[in-house]
Amino acid sequence: MSLFPTGVAASPRCSLFRWKRKLPNQLGRAKAVRSVGDECSPRGYLDEQFCQVEDLQDEANPNFAEEVVSLFFKDSARVMLNFEQAIEKHPKDFARWDAHMQQLKGSCSSIGASRVKNECTSFRNFCGEENAEGCTRSFQKVKREHAVLRQKLESYFQLLRQAGPAGTATRPAGK
Amino acid sequence: MAPVEDGGGVEFPVGMKVLVVDDDPTCLAVLKRMLLECRYDATTCSQATRALTMLRENRRGFDVIISDVHMPDMDGFRLLELVGLEMDLPVIMMSADSRTDIVMKGIKHGACDYLIKPVRMEELKNIWQHVIRKKFNENKEHEHSGSLDDTDRTRPTNNDNEYASSANDGAEGSWKSQKKKRDKDDDDGELESGDPSSTSKKPRVVWSVELHQQFVNAVNHLGIDKAVPKKILELMNVPGLTRENVASHLQKFRLYLKRIAQHHAGIANPFCPPASSGKVGSLGGLDFQALAASGQIPPQALAALQDELLGRPTNSLVLPGRDQSSLRLAAVKGNKPHGEREIAFGQPIYKCQNNAYGPFPQSSPAVGGMPSFSAWPNNKLGMADSTGTLGGMSNSQNSNIVLHELQQQPDAMLSGTLHSLDVKPSGIVMPSQSLNTFSASEGLSPNQNTLMIPAQSSGFLAAMPPSMKHEPVLATSQPSSSLLGGIDLVNQASTSQPLISAHGGGNLSGLVNRNPNVVPSQGISTFHTPNNPYLVSPNSMGVGSKQPPGVLKTENSDALNHSYGYLGGSNPPMDSGLLSSQSKNTQFGLLGQDDITGSWSPLPNVDSYGNTVGLSHPGSSSSSFQSSNVALGKLPDQGRGKNHGFVGKGTCIPSRFAVDEIESPTNNLSHSIGSSGDIMSPDIFGFSGQM
Repeated sequence: MSLFPTGVAASPRCSLFRWKRKLPNQLGRAKAVRSVGDECSPRGYLDEQFCQVEDLQDEANPNFAEEVVSLFFKDSARVMLNFEQAIEKHPKDFARWDAHMQQLKGSCSSIGASRVKNECTSFRNFCGEENAEGCTRSFQKVKREHAVLRQKLESYFQLLRQAGPAGTATRPAGK
Repeated sequence: MAPVEDGGGVEFPVGMKVLVVDDDPTCLAVLKRMLLECRYDATTCSQATRALTMLRENRRGFDVIISDVHMPDMDGFRLLELVGLEMDLPVIMMSADSRTDIVMKGIKHGACDYLIKPVRMEELKNIWQHVIRKKFNENKEHEHSGSLDDTDRTRPTNNDNEYASSANDGAEGSWKSQKKKRDKDDDDGELESGDPSSTSKKPRVVWSVELHQQFVNAVNHLGIDKAVPKKILELMNVPGLTRENVASHLQKFRLYLKRIAQHHAGIANPFCPPASSGKVGSLGGLDFQALAASGQIPPQALAALQDELLGRPTNSLVLPGRDQSSLRLAAVKGNKPHGEREIAFGQPIYKCQNNAYGPFPQSSPAVGGMPSFSAWPNNKLGMADSTGTLGGMSNSQNSNIVLHELQQQPDAMLSGTLHSLDVKPSGIVMPSQSLNTFSASEGLSPNQNTLMIPAQSSGFLAAMPPSMKHEPVLATSQPSSSLLGGIDLVNQASTSQPLISAHGGGNLSGLVNRNPNVVPSQGISTFHTPNNPYLVSPNSMGVGSKQPPGVLKTENSDALNHSYGYLGGSNPPMDSGLLSSQSKNTQFGLLGQDDITGSWSPLPNVDSYGNTVGLSHPGSSSSSFQSSNVALGKLPDQGRGKNHGFVGKGTCIPSRFAVDEIESPTNNLSHSIGSSGDIMSPDIFGFSGQM
């Protein structure tokens, strides 16, 4: 499936994104956003929060969303690395694992990375149950989702850049 | 903080200074951007320790804090506690963790709100309400400084700590101390369990004179050793009063007694004229109390007291026929600043601190009202003597002192003191507490009205023959004949307490009357809002409420700001005026003022305000009392609208007076206050509409 559908797909997932707010000239962005949301998972990779983040962009902060997203990936990569070390150094230290994952979950929620966030939640549930194996599996999923999201968002922003500065700089007022 | 809108200019929420603390850079970035979108002034910090440093360096640099819960260098809750303790700023917790127990923990630690990540823009747009609410509540708290303790600390556990903090509160900016108290409670976590909203905006019980009198009566009846909150509550039979209120009040009361006992030795010099209102404070009930406790007032102490009384308020002795004001003046005469009047009589325990408790050195300073306390202690001594019969002179002396004190303070105070003199059989002579503070003597308590004494007709004073050296009560020239009148009433009503016996024939005893209501509402009007223990005098509310927190801040200098409109003194324009006159002393305005006059806003009779408060309604004893309170209430309200006659703290002055008094005082206040006054006046009572 194309990441960026050419048409304005009225996919049910689109409702997640306030695409209707996007003016025609923002179509490219709208499409891109929708596409990410439409991707694979019924829940979408990104949720409403991402829209809010994007909404925060304006002329003074034209690349805010991208900046935040890259900040997220940088920080979350660090967190996950720490986490992996913690898993090795402190096996079965569920409290510690939980704390790490809590951190990651917070970051994800800030940018609307819903799938990664959900995986974090299930990981924490496993921690609560003290299910080491469940935790490990869950963590692998977290890593996977994280990587996928990074990829998608990179493409997304690339697309936006291709759409031209006008695309991002002049968000419609209705945003 | 952004100026409250009332001033015109930018609307309040705009420009509100927010500090965000979170170790997650992503969240910080998003939040900062959102806050800027809301037109707030946002500062981010990724380390809690650094945030604390920033806050400590610049307390007024921020209006609200948003903090994450899970942080590596410091637990968010710990930061919450510290901020609350040290800076008393609203703190909003934030976390992706939405578990109920964590959220509950946040609430218990005193968080104003708890946001779940991701934080949406809509939620951030509303955070300004916490700032306003906190200011408003603080103002109210200050007014009810006494009550604050009650509500905050439902638990009698940290006795000393709490006590100390209460004391501090009175002394310093009530808001600060309150914060401490609050924090303490929060930290303890006890509050939450018992009273989750204790630290928050729960309505505080104002230990008015009458209420306190009832309390003391109950305690006396049970015996101080056997007095348990539950039984006291039953005996008091006051609707709306909870066991926790009683428990905290009892705790304070016990501390007060203890202090008195401790200061027993120091009675000889009890009356060190307190710098601020405290003046009598030195005598503070402490000595008296001790005496009371011991059942005997050492002649030395008495003499000392008398000297003090005499020394200070020269005129005070005029009692008879004088209104409370005069009484007060007499009592207060000391140098008590206007604020002294404020002394929440009820707070004698704290306030008197000067002597007795030490920690509260004259908390009244700000309050000016303290005098009431001082008066108290004196009373006590006298009472202790008579333990039961108010011993002749000693009581009278005490009563005089009390009277003096009362004089100083809005009439209410006096009556209270007089009442307090009521020496109960238990031997605890506690100045009628009218003021919220424990009526020093349990025995004394009878006068719930305590302060009211003066209110009533000078009759009381008259009753107190010149034997009372100090006749503090009357001395004051205040119109508050009510005070005296109050005393009179007391006699009539309660007559239970020998209080007055010393004086003159037992008028005092009348004063002592336990009947809380007996006491001339008049006299005390200023201070005590008519025995509405819980009264949050509508007036005051009206008044104070108006003031937009922002106003307070901006208006007065810091000192005033603290008061946030507390009546204590710096209250907003109006209050500030009132308070300012006194409050200058105490920035806290709240305490000083609030406590005492807190709600009542400086004695109407008082000078500074221009209107003599308190005596606004000399007439009907009990009714007048009420009215006077209103007047009183008014004033304080101005700033804060609190006049509720804070409990224990400054004065029991029912906030009611806020209404009447406000009018007049406002004018005065504005002027008196000076800068703040101008601005404030509108607010406090909502008059000028500054608000």
